[in-house]
Amino acid sequence: MSKSVLIVEDEPFILEALSFLLKREGLNVIAFTDGDGCVEHIQSIKPDLVILDMMLPNRSGMQILEDLRAIDNFSNLPVLMLTAKGQKKDRAAAEQAGVSLFMTKPFANKEIIRNVHRLLGI
Amino acid sequence: MSRSLLGTRIRENRRSKKISQTELAKQAGISASYLNLIEHNRRGIGGKTLLALARVLKVDPRAFTEGADQALVGRVNQAAAATPTIACEVDKTEEFIARFHGFARLIGRQYDRAKAQDEALQAVSDQMNSDPFFSEAMHLMLTNITTIKSTAEILSDGEAVPDDLKERFLSNLLNETERLAQTATDVLQHFEPSTQSDGAADDTAPTETILEKNDFFIEQIEGNFISPYDYVARLKLSKPDENEALDALTSYSSIARKLPIDTFLKAAKQQSYNPIALSQILDVSLNVVLRRLAYLPKHDDIPRFGMLECDGSGAVIFRKQLPTLSLPRYGSACPLWPIYRSLSQPLQPIKAFINTPTGERFLTYSITRYVDQNSIGLPSRTNAIMVFTPDYEMFLSKPEIALQTNLAVGLQCSVCPRDNCAARRAKYLLQ
Repeated sequence: MSKSVLIVEDEPFILEALSFLLKREGLNVIAFTDGDGCVEHIQSIKPDLVILDMMLPNRSGMQILEDLRAIDNFSNLPVLMLTAKGQKKDRAAAEQAGVSLFMTKPFANKEIIRNVHRLLGI
Repeated sequence: MSRSLLGTRIRENRRSKKISQTELAKQAGISASYLNLIEHNRRGIGGKTLLALARVLKVDPRAFTEGADQALVGRVNQAAAATPTIACEVDKTEEFIARFHGFARLIGRQYDRAKAQDEALQAVSDQMNSDPFFSEAMHLMLTNITTIKSTAEILSDGEAVPDDLKERFLSNLLNETERLAQTATDVLQHFEPSTQSDGAADDTAPTETILEKNDFFIEQIEGNFISPYDYVARLKLSKPDENEALDALTSYSSIARKLPIDTFLKAAKQQSYNPIALSQILDVSLNVVLRRLAYLPKHDDIPRFGMLECDGSGAVIFRKQLPTLSLPRYGSACPLWPIYRSLSQPLQPIKAFINTPTGERFLTYSITRYVDQNSIGLPSRTNAIMVFTPDYEMFLSKPEIALQTNLAVGLQCSVCPRDNCAARRAKYLLQ
């Protein structure tokens, strides 16, 4: 059974490119474009990896991450934060909140695929 | 210039008039060898000899003996301090200015321009860090670039892409490229200067330049022959500069109306330029009296007053410099100046004598007033002014002067040689 990756990204073209790349790797991709209700979706879907944009409508990636880490079953869920906000303070805040990996945009496709494999253990 | 360099100035004056040393000595009634020692600053000079030399050279003796343009000395020294990798002979700055005044002014002007440009760069940097538009635009551009990069890599990495998706990705590329171009255009427009620079940037505000050109006394406005509005309109300034100049000249005009110059000067002489007494007698606020002191006509009988005005943060709003005291346009002045003490004691007038490291002494009056007090729950804005004069001997008696204690201050730490100063926050760069 293929592993599943849940992407929360409000930019539709980036979402399309990421989804294509991950599906091409044989992964099951679930996509959301809004931060609202995201934690509930994750709880029901139980993905193997979450890719989170930091700036999202209604609920930021940081808030979603903090909410996830507060739930017992998701305290160790791999979360890759992907953001254009690459300042030191943003990275520090994400690490403080328990992110598994912090990547800044723009990214190289090969790099994100390599990191997804690593976080999924494949 | 200190008196020790008086000889240098005599020599330069003689040379500029193409008079030989022998000829000048003969006409002044001294020996050529003695004049040679004087010109090389190896003999003091005063009294009859000085007057004789001045007479032969057809100059006012004060031209030799008056203090040098300390503002220029300070700026040249600051220019040297700004490039510490070049070991400038800062102990000979005054001599340099005396001998090559034009070059010294050029260095001062270029230092001013470089400083103004540094400040402008800092302002842009601050704007970029705190400007919500710029922050959002950068985020948008990085997003555009991410899409373009990732999509282009998919289309060019050699892996198979279904035809329908290929078309879709090409369309995404086109859309995102157009969005990127638009965002970049918006950013450029956002940072486009609102006024055209004529390349003559210095650290002097336009209003100060206008007043400086008129020696801070505009007879047409004093006599109410022209309104500030018409005066400013004639100058054909850019809109922001015009607004600033109009505000300043309206304020000046208001002071001239409240305290007509003839009435004020008469009272000032009677009251020994005591601003508190003048405030009471003329029934105006101390703030108005102090400002009037900064706008007096230039005359041998009238003491010179400079002025510094700042807001509650210490940021300089207005300055009238005197040749013997250079004032910073931006922050980092000496924190011991009475104007900064005044900020912590609003409405309390402060009188203080200050001594600069170059030996000049100034009488200062400072006061801070509240600009507005109508905002409940918000801090009141304050505004401080300090007027200063080196000509206090014109209106204070010697016993009065002797009673005053001196406050040792500097211009700013980097060019202040005072040792063991508790207020020092940066090292002295000219040692």
